[in-house]
Amino acid sequence: MLGRRGALAYLAVPPYVWLVLLFLLPLLMMVAVSLQPASGRIDFTSGWPSTSQYQQIADTPVYLRQLGLSAAIALGVAISAVVLAFPLAYFLAFRARQRATVFLILLLLPFATSFLLRVMAWKLMLGHDGAINWLLTSVGLVDEPTTLLIYSRSAVIITLVYVWIPFAALPIYAALQRIDRSHLEAAADLGAGPWTRFFRVTVPLSLPGVLAALFMVFIPTVGEYVTPVLVGGPQGVMYGQLVQDFFTRAGNWPLGSALAVVMLATTVALVALASRLIDVRRLA
Amino acid sequence: MSTQLRTTRRGLAVVAALALVLTACGLGGEPNELSVLEWSGYEQPDFWTDFASANPETEVSFEFGISDADILTQMEGNSTADIFHFYTGWQQFYVDEGLVQEIDTSKLTNWDKVPDSFKQLGQINGKQYYVPWDWGFTSIMYNPDEVPEVTSWDALFDEQYAGHISMWNDGPAAVTVSAYVHDYDETAITDEQLASIEQEWIAQKPLNKFYWSGEYVELCPNNGPLDPDIWIAYAWQGCYATTLAAGQPVAYADPVEGRNSWVGLYGISADSDSPELALEFLDAKLANLTCSNAMTLFYYGCVNQEVMDAVEDPILREAFALDDPSILERTNFTPLVTQEQRDAWTQMWSEVQAE
Repeated sequence: MLGRRGALAYLAVPPYVWLVLLFLLPLLMMVAVSLQPASGRIDFTSGWPSTSQYQQIADTPVYLRQLGLSAAIALGVAISAVVLAFPLAYFLAFRARQRATVFLILLLLPFATSFLLRVMAWKLMLGHDGAINWLLTSVGLVDEPTTLLIYSRSAVIITLVYVWIPFAALPIYAALQRIDRSHLEAAADLGAGPWTRFFRVTVPLSLPGVLAALFMVFIPTVGEYVTPVLVGGPQGVMYGQLVQDFFTRAGNWPLGSALAVVMLATTVALVALASRLIDVRRLA
Repeated sequence: MSTQLRTTRRGLAVVAALALVLTACGLGGEPNELSVLEWSGYEQPDFWTDFASANPETEVSFEFGISDADILTQMEGNSTADIFHFYTGWQQFYVDEGLVQEIDTSKLTNWDKVPDSFKQLGQINGKQYYVPWDWGFTSIMYNPDEVPEVTSWDALFDEQYAGHISMWNDGPAAVTVSAYVHDYDETAITDEQLASIEQEWIAQKPLNKFYWSGEYVELCPNNGPLDPDIWIAYAWQGCYATTLAAGQPVAYADPVEGRNSWVGLYGISADSDSPELALEFLDAKLANLTCSNAMTLFYYGCVNQEVMDAVEDPILREAFALDDPSILERTNFTPLVTQEQRDAWTQMWSEVQAE
C-alpha cells in the first residue's frame, strides 16, 4: 500500500510528463536544430553538432544589439506596468472591501479577449483615423491627424504596458492581501503616518509580489513579436520579430533556433542575476 | 436446424455480402478528398468555384502557409497536401527535393487558354511541373497630389518623402529593387553588392512609415484605398486597383527599369494520393468563371487569356495595363535564385530590420 509520500509522487507524474513532453522536449529539439551546420535543410547525419549558427550570431553584432534593446524595452515595460498596477492592486486589497470581487472581475475582463485583439484595438486607437487623433483634432490641439502616435517604439511600449497592467496587478494584489494588518496597526501605534506606513511597511512586504510581477512581464516581453509587428513600424522592431522571420519568412530554422536559444539563455541569466542581487528568498 | 436460426444465418450472409460490395466500391471508387496548401484568403469558394460545381461530393480542405519559405518548409516536413501554391522564384527547390510530380497537360482542358510565356514559368528542365494561375505587377504606387511623376524605383529612397514611404517587409524584394536601381544582375549578386545593398536599405529605413507585410492589412487596409499617410509605396496592382476603386488620387509607376511581375504556381505533391483529382482541381482553377472571380473580386490577374481579353472594367484594365500591349515586354519576371542566395538576402534583411 502506498504511503502518503508515494501517493503524492504519483500525483506529480502527469504534470511532469506534460512538462517533459510539451516543454522540455521541444526546447531540446530547438537546441538540436540550432546546432545544424548549415542554414538549409535540417540534417542530423553530417556535420552535426556544429556551432556555426552561434558563430554567425557572434559575427553579426546587430543581433545582439537588438537583443539588448529588446531587453531594455522589456525592463521599461515591466517597471511601468508594475508602477501603474500597484495602485490598482492596492485599491483592491485595502479599499475595495466587499466590492473587491467585482473590481477583480473588471480587472480580469481584458483577458476575456485575445492578446491579438487587444493589440489591434490599440492600433485603431493610435492610427491616423483613431480615437486619439479624433480627440486631438476635436479639441483643436492639432489641425490634422498626427502621424507620430503609431509605428514607433513608444507605440510598442504604450501598448505593451496596457496589455500587461492587469497581469502585473495580480501577484501584487496577492502579496498585499497576505500582509498582516496588525503590522500596519503596530506602525500606527508607534506614530507612523500614512505615508511612512506605506513606504516602511506596505511596500517592503509587497516586494515578493512586485518582483513576481516584474519577472512575469519582463520575461515574455523580451521575445515579444505581435505588438511590434502591428504597431512598431521600422523603428519599433524587437528581437522576437527576427526569430519569427527566420522561422517563417526565411525558412532558416537553424539560425532562428540559435537566436531563440540565445534569447532564452540571456533572459534566464538576467533573471538569475536579478534574483541573486535582490535575494528573493529573504524577501519571501 | 430451426427455421429461426436459418433465417438469422441468411440475414447475416446478406449483410456480409452487402458490406463486401460496399467496401469494394469504396476501395475502387474515386477519392473524394483533396487537400490544398494555400495562402490565407485563397480558400474562399470563389477561388475554386468551377471545381466545386463539377465535384460537389469532393471535400476540399485547406492548410495555410504564410510565406513561400513557410510553404516549402511545410512541404519538406509533414504536410499531407495534394496541391501546393507558391510564387515565382521557388520553382527549382521543389523539383530538386523531389516534392513535386510532373503534370500531364494533355489532361488539362483549359491549358490552351494559357499563354506560352506563363506556361514556361512552370517548366523545369523542359518538363511541366507547375500550373501557373494568378499573376500581377509590382511597382511604385504613389499619390500624384503629393509626389510628381515617379519614373524610377529609386523613388523609394527619396528623402524628401521621409515618413510617407512604405516598403514591403521582404529581403528578396529589397534586393530586387536595388538590382533594378543599380543595374545589378539579380541572379548573380556579389557579396560586395549585397553589403552595399544592406547599407542602402539601412539608410532607407527611417524614411518608411511602416514596412507592410500584408497588402490588404497595412498598405490598403480591409481591401480599401492606400493608407493616407503613405505617398510612395512598393505595391502590387491589387492595392492600386482598390485605391482607384475608392476614387482616391493614385498612380502606378512605369519605371525606366521596368515593373516587376510575380506569378503564382500550383504543383501536385509527389506523395499525393489523389493526383487525378488534383489535376482536375488545377484544370478547374484555369476555367473561365474561377479565373474571372480572381480578377473581378480580388483584383488578381489570371493566366486565362480569354478572361483577360474579356475584361471591360476600366479599373481592372488600368490595374493590369491591358491597353498597353508592350507592358509585359518591359516587365521583369522574378528569376530563379539558389537557396544560398535567398538565405543571404533574407539574412541581410533581418540585419536591416535589427539595425
